[in-house]
Amino acid sequence: MTDERMPLSLSGVRFTRPNGFVLDVPALELPSGKIIALLGENGAGKTTLLRIIAGLERSAVGEVRFDGAPPRKSGLAFAFQERVFLEGTVRRNLEVALRLRRLPAAERPERIDAAVAELGIEHLLAREASRLSGGEQQRVNLARTLALRAPLTLLDEPLASLDADTRERLLVELPAALRRFTRLAIVVAHERREALGMADHVVVLRAGKVLAAGPKSELFRRPPDVDTARALGLVVLAKDGVRYAVPDHEIKIGDDGAPGFELRVERVIDLGTHAEVLGHCAGQAVTVRAVPDARLPRPGATVRVVAGHAVELP
Amino acid sequence: MGEIWRDPAVADIAVRTFLVSGVATVFAMLLGVPLGYALGRGRFRGQTMIFAAVNTGMGMPPVVVGLIVWLLLVRSGPFGGLELVYTKTAMVLAQLLIALPIVVGFTAASIQALPPRLPDLLDMLGAGKLERIWLIARQARLGLLAGVMAAFGGIVSEVGASMTVGGNLQGQTRVLTTAIVTETSRGNVDRALALGVVLLLLAFVLNLGLTLLQQKPAKP
Repeated sequence: MTDERMPLSLSGVRFTRPNGFVLDVPALELPSGKIIALLGENGAGKTTLLRIIAGLERSAVGEVRFDGAPPRKSGLAFAFQERVFLEGTVRRNLEVALRLRRLPAAERPERIDAAVAELGIEHLLAREASRLSGGEQQRVNLARTLALRAPLTLLDEPLASLDADTRERLLVELPAALRRFTRLAIVVAHERREALGMADHVVVLRAGKVLAAGPKSELFRRPPDVDTARALGLVVLAKDGVRYAVPDHEIKIGDDGAPGFELRVERVIDLGTHAEVLGHCAGQAVTVRAVPDARLPRPGATVRVVAGHAVELP
Repeated sequence: MGEIWRDPAVADIAVRTFLVSGVATVFAMLLGVPLGYALGRGRFRGQTMIFAAVNTGMGMPPVVVGLIVWLLLVRSGPFGGLELVYTKTAMVLAQLLIALPIVVGFTAASIQALPPRLPDLLDMLGAGKLERIWLIARQARLGLLAGVMAAFGGIVSEVGASMTVGGNLQGQTRVLTTAIVTETSRGNVDRALALGVVLLLLAFVLNLGLTLLQQKPAKP
């Protein structure tokens, strides 16, 4: 029986690298119609998990199922972090990709035009792919992936090496495009902001294991443990044996509200518009925004801070 | 020197030279390209040693290869029963052994120079076996064709092995290089020079064709 709403399932997946790294996913189900962010530190196994789902790690054991069967190559698109191109123009690279997918020749130009328009790279079509800049290559990489219109689309660091404008634009437009063409997209991004900005569902990996998985809003509302809270970018503060997860921008100097903490100030950076007060709070490095006026604390001082939107951790 | 172009014996030698070295090159490609691919792509124990051996093989003196093949094929040798010594087959065999490390070495180097994720990309796109080989070969064709040219150039111009295993028999195993040696030793320097020009032309025409293939821009 396949659950219609959970088209991608992993069971008993295990993979060992020669260097001793082990990825171990006993069970994981991912919902359809969603964009999923894989979060985790460098070396947590994010890319490896994508490669296993794509069937590129032949020595992995266990089962990956998409709609009840192992994912078929023809229904899968994977944008590698390393941008790989065949020799020749951008057009040839997209053309060959669609040809290998057995898309009839008559339908290819329209697919190519739509994909390059999506990424704003119409002007690059006649250029040699391998001679483009890093950012341009990344856009071609994404265009080639979107052109496949695969129900299962995997993106490894899709916004890497893009200029700031393009990155901000794609942070909104890429999820929109993915929702149009795919049933399930998994995004790996080193930058938490990018990953969370695109996704509505989050899987947190640590040292080859799935720490938590669930809808983004739910995980933020109720992080299941300290490591997940940290992976989501929350600051974990302890007081009287209770640990709280707090968004770092919600920590403010002052004493109205609870819970309150003592912040030992180490450095103060006045940026004009605001100041950054860096220090340690309950053993945790914290950066607090403050108004740069006469009340700004000095290094060495201890001030009271309050944590808004604090969630008690179990 | 003019009469050499009308000499049927010269045409005969040129054709034989082209055939012997051409056949040896084709066999060297058939064996060497897959071996080079495996050497360039794989990760296995002793890979560095094999690389070193191949690189040494690329510079092996043809006369030494000729001597080894001669020792194997001579009537009293282990394969003497095949009666191959002093035949064109023996020459092809010796030239194949000279060309093989060159093709393997160039292939391995050009495969290693490809983006490491290229096979993954083709795999992900669902390329069939033949499409995969074709696209990778196209991508690596600069190095592959350089290897073929180096191999053919190396064996068409060698004299030691051809002389040793072929015996330079007139009308049977005489090729351009051994003919040049013969003519020079007889004092026919003009004829030797003319044969040298024929050899260069032969090499140039073949290399021109391969170079055009190599430098052809990729079309969609």
